[in-house]
Order: sequence, then structure tokens, then C-alpha cells
Amino acid sequence: MRRTALPARRRLCRRTLLAAPVALAAPQALAARSVTLGLTPVFLDSDIVLVRQIEGHISARLGRPVQVVKRRTYREVTSLLVAGQLDAAWICGYPFVQHRDALEILAVPLYRGEPLYRAYLIARQDRGAATLAELRGDLHAFSDPDSNSGFLVTSAMLAELGTAPGAFFTRSFFTYGHRNVIRAVAAGLAQSGSVDGYVWDVMADLEPALVGATRVVQASAPMGFPPFATSRQSDPGLARAIRDALLTMPETADGRDILATLRLDGFVTGSPGLFDGIAALSRRARAAG
Amino acid sequence: MRALAPRRWPLALRVPLLITLLMIGIAGAISKLVLVRLEATQATHFEELSGAYLDGLSTALLPAMIRRDPWEAFDALDRSRARYRGVGALRVLVVLPDGTVLAASDPVRHPLGAAAPSEAGPAPLHLAPGAATAWIHRAVSEGGMPVGRIAAEVDVTALATERRATLLALVGVNAALTVLFAILGWLLVRRMLRPVLRLSERLGRAAEGRLDPIPEAELPAADTEAGRAFRRYNAAAAAIAEREALLTRLAEEERRALVGRYASAMAHEVNNPLGGLFNAVRMIQRHGDDPERRQRAASLLERGLTGIHNIVRASLILWRGESDARPVSAADIDDLRLLIESEARRRELVLDWQQGIEGSFPAPAQAVRQIALNLLLNACAASPPGGRVTVRAGVAAGTLTLVVADEGPGLPGHARRLLLDGREEQVPQAGGLGLWTVARLVRELDASVHLAGPPGSHVTIRIPDAERSANLPAAA
Repeated sequence: MRRTALPARRRLCRRTLLAAPVALAAPQALAARSVTLGLTPVFLDSDIVLVRQIEGHISARLGRPVQVVKRRTYREVTSLLVAGQLDAAWICGYPFVQHRDALEILAVPLYRGEPLYRAYLIARQDRGAATLAELRGDLHAFSDPDSNSGFLVTSAMLAELGTAPGAFFTRSFFTYGHRNVIRAVAAGLAQSGSVDGYVWDVMADLEPALVGATRVVQASAPMGFPPFATSRQSDPGLARAIRDALLTMPETADGRDILATLRLDGFVTGSPGLFDGIAALSRRARAAG
Repeated sequence: MRALAPRRWPLALRVPLLITLLMIGIAGAISKLVLVRLEATQATHFEELSGAYLDGLSTALLPAMIRRDPWEAFDALDRSRARYRGVGALRVLVVLPDGTVLAASDPVRHPLGAAAPSEAGPAPLHLAPGAATAWIHRAVSEGGMPVGRIAAEVDVTALATERRATLLALVGVNAALTVLFAILGWLLVRRMLRPVLRLSERLGRAAEGRLDPIPEAELPAADTEAGRAFRRYNAAAAAIAEREALLTRLAEEERRALVGRYASAMAHEVNNPLGGLFNAVRMIQRHGDDPERRQRAASLLERGLTGIHNIVRASLILWRGESDARPVSAADIDDLRLLIESEARRRELVLDWQQGIEGSFPAPAQAVRQIALNLLLNACAASPPGGRVTVRAGVAAGTLTLVVADEGPGLPGHARRLLLDGREEQVPQAGGLGLWTVARLVRELDASVHLAGPPGSHVTIRIPDAERSANLPAAA
């Protein structure tokens, strides 16, 4: 907890110290470079509208052009963020705990009133399994090796069972997207899958035919929702401006549109402790194999 | 069965039928040709379409196949489904070089890692006619190294449906054309045959004895076949009418000759009693006072005058003109006896005369009498001196039977043919017209002739009741 308190204080100091010069220099300096915002696939088949909305909202709040940078894998986005090539990114809790020293939480989305979500183990609708143990020997679809719900949770649960994905499943593969996991299981390409519970829930509403072909076998305990994070090396003023833009999203019309699209209630500042559960899962999985 | 033989069918039926058969043959050949061409075109188009489809798929799938990434391969297949909807791919398999499935459009049927079905094995494109699906294949390689192949089962029922629709359209159009041409053929042939049918109808009437010429106004142009045929027909009709008129005149002349002969016979018959009558007159002049002699002379006068009266009456009956169509009666036959007796006596013949007609019989008296008289004259002429000439007349079952027999040498062959078939149109050059007249009248009365002998001649004529016979010419 001590580690998490320190950066907060430091952020406050920086905010106090840098607030005035940033505000004064903003018109010229900020206009020079676009703000880059990393994004991994969410749940939309085509999210170009959402990307433009986010760019528009943040850009309006910052008074600077914003460019959303998308990559296929979590690792690519995380690497860019840690390397300082992105000003901020919406990443998964698992990469955050992996790079807790290098990253700082900007804001955490509120889903159903809490900054929490669950991981689901899903199977085809006609499958009678009720626990992970019954999925032994399956063709299993993971989302991403750096996804908490799409890989880590299942790996950690298997570690508790004394096994690992490679041994437990006949074969497993990564689809690099929670939506793809649902598609793979619905189509029968995979017999079961590990998926983000928030994505599954929202998609059940958006694409009932697709999600209706699957069912939740097992849900994990609530964990910290994937946060918006920034590199500790990044400009604190910019980080604060981005955080403000996120936290005030419900206050603007375009912000509410974005939240409605994402089925989110808003953002909270959050704290690193929110992801302790994920960190524990990571340790457990790492210990097993 | 012979009546049903096709060559006996009317031309108006045979020509349209022939057109129909020809049209069916032509339509069949054209339909076959069109379908063969269509099938070839479809095969070419299918090959091109499937080639383009596999090109697109292999481009999208190549990275996934190189990495053996099942999700990427499936994702590419899944996304291509909507893009290539027109191709009609029912299932698509991405097969690795070891024959296992990397991804399939239907992963439940073909799970990851399962062996690919044999029908998805590499084979040249074959579009079997009537098949609902066809397999198309594409081997995929990178840098000369095979990385797998793509196999797709494509729905080709649309091609069969198109062929079926084309076939139906061909059959429909050809059937309509065939029917149209058959009807046109029928109408044209009917139109072309109309003059022939008219001629045929008129020639048919000729069999009934009427050969009317075609009026000038109805004649087609002279430079047409029909025009020439009609004119030839008219020429023939005119010639036949002329001949008929000649024959009628000949018959009339024969009758007049007959009358002339019997006028002289009658004169002879009248002359015979005249001597006795003059004697009776002289007897009255000389011995008129003697009542006995006067009575005897008066009696002689009466007998003689009665005989003359009878002869004159019979002669009058024989010649009454053309319109004597009253029914024949017993008196008509008996009158003949008066006429023939003198001839029989002259030839010293014995007349055996029996007639049993009671009242009258509905047949023209003049025609019957002429038949009987001619037969009798013929019999008298043929009989040797002292011979017997037999006459029988009677009515039974609505038929008047007339028998004339003699003891002569019998009828010569030409006379027999003339009487029996009644169609001997040739007027005999030698001899009288007696038997020819009999034959003509027999035909007119629709009577039948039966001949017997030699020895002798026995002619039986059976004349039907004119009122019952429809074929008898109207006797007005």
C-alpha cells in the first residue's frame, strides 16, 4: 500500500508545480504534437465510430489533437505505453500489474456502478459443463496471453487444480480479442473459451444471436476493471488533463455517447490496490508453471 | 386396320402431322445444342468464378496458414462468407500439408486437427451434370514450400436450375411454335386442297349420275393448277353430258322404232278382222231383213271391232309420253299379251302367260311394261318355231317379280353382262337396243336381275316397291 501511496503524493506535487507552466505553455507546446491514446480491441466488430468519438472527446477536453493507436495484441500496446510512445492507453489489469512500476493509473471505468468486472469461462449453449474441471480435453480459445480474464484467470484456476492450459486442454489458441473468443466458441471452432465478463455481458445485449450460442460455465470473483494508464515517465500535466477528460466524460454529450456505447457509467480515479487480486492470480500462475 | 394405315389419312392431317414431327426433331436438336453450349459456358464461368474466389481466399489465408493459426484462418473464412456469398460455398476447409484441418467454415463438422474428408482431397475441377455440389481446390505455397490447401464445396444447383429453366423455356417455346406451325400447316393445306376437295366432291356426285360443270364465275385463274384441273373437269363433264344426251336420244329412238314396228303389227291386226267386218256389212246389206243373219253379222261386227278396240287401246297405252309414272297394274301386263300375241302367232310360238298382280304395284307402269315388252320380244326372237315363251308376273313381299323364259339358245355373253352388272355404258353397235334399254331401266328402278340357262333363257327381274326405295329417281 505504501508503494501505491507514494506516486499519488508525487502526482499531487507535480500537479501543483507544473499546473501553472503547463497551462501557460499549452497553446504553443500542446498544439505541436498529437496526444496518442492506445486501445486494444474491445467488443465492437467495427469500432471506428467509437475511436473517432474518443478522439473527439479527449481532443476537445485537451484542446489538442488526439490520435487513437490500435494494436492487435495487448503486448504491443503495453510495450508502446511502457516505452513512452503512447501518452496513455486503455490496458488490461494483467499488463498493469506486470508493469506496475512503470505505469500509473489514470482512471478506471465504472461498470454497473463499480470499477469491477469478472472473467467468464464459456462453452457452447448445448454444453452441460458447470465447472472448469469438466472442460478437460477441450479445444479452448483464449483471448490474449496478456489478458487477465482472457488467459490469466483460467491459467490460475488450472494452477489451483495442479495443471496448466497445455496439459489440461487438448489444444488451445489465442484469438486476440474477447469478441473473437465468443465467435470461436459460438461457431464451434473452440469447445470452450476464456472471456472478459463485461464484454460477454455487453455483447449479449448487442449481438444476442451470437452470444446466445454460448453460455457461462463459470464466473470468477470480481476484479479490477481494465484501467486507463499512462507511463510514469509521461508528462504529468498531460496525464492529469487526460484523467480529467476521462473523469468528466459523463458531463458532456459526446462523453455520454461514448459511455453509452461502451455500456459504462463513468470513470473513477481508482488505485493500484484495485488490481491486487489480479496480481495474486499472476503470482499463482507463475508459481505453477 | 388397313383403313387406319397412315397413307390412308387425309392430306390435311398428314401434312400438319409431318410438320409437327419435323418441328419436334428440329426443336430437339436445337435444344440439345443450346443446352450443351450452356453447360460449357456455365463450366467456364464456374471455373473463372471459383478461381477468383480461391485467389481471394488464399491471399487472406496465407499468413494464417504459414503460422498455422487456427483462429486467423477461421476468421478469414468467416469474414469471406459474406463477401463471397455469390459463390455459394457450402463449406470451406483449410487443410494443412499433413491432411488435418486447420480451420473450416463449419468447425463443428470439421474440428481443428481432424482429418480432412476424402472428397476434399486434391482433384481436378469436375462439374458433374445433375450434381448439387462441386468441390474446388487450391494448393497454397510460400517460397515454393507447400503450406496447405483450400478446398470448398460449392452449391451448383443454381447452374442446374438455370439449365432446367432454359430447357423448360426451350420446350415451351418450341411446343408453342410446333402447335402454331401445325395449325398453320393445317390451314394452308386445307386452303391448298380446297380445289381438289371441290373436284373430288363433284366427281363423287358423278357416281350418282350427276356431273355438273363448275360455273365460270367459280373457276380459278387458268394459269393455276387448280384452274387447269377445273377446266379439264368441266370439259369431261360436258363430254359426259353430251354422251348422256346421245344415249337418251338413242333410247327414245329405240322406243319410237318399237312403236313403229308395232304400228305395222297393229295395222296387220286391224286389217285381219277388216275382211270379216266388210263381209258382215255386206251380209247386213244383202240379208238385213233376215234377223238371224243380221244378228250374226252384228255379232261378227262387234267381235271384230272389239279386237280392233283392244289393239288400239294397247297401242295407246304403250305410247303415252314421258310422264307416265302411274303404278303398274295387272292390265298393263295383260295389254302386253295383246301386243305380243301377233308376233307369237307369226312365229308359231306357244305363250304360257300367268300374271298374279292384284290391283296395282308402286313402280312406274311405263318402265315396267317396257322392260317386259323388250324381254318378250327378245324371247320371241330367240325361240325356235313351236317353242314356248313363258311369262310370269306376281307381287310378293313388296317386290314385283317378272319372269320371261324361252327355249332358245340362251343369252350371249355380252347380253348377260349387260343385264347383270347394268353398267354396260357402251351402246351395242349390232342388234337392237332392247336389252340395253332393259338394263338402263333396271338400273333406274334399282331392280335386280337373275339369269338362268342355257338350255333356254330364264330372266327374272325383281323390282322393289318404289315408295320404299330411296334410290329410285323421283317420279313426278
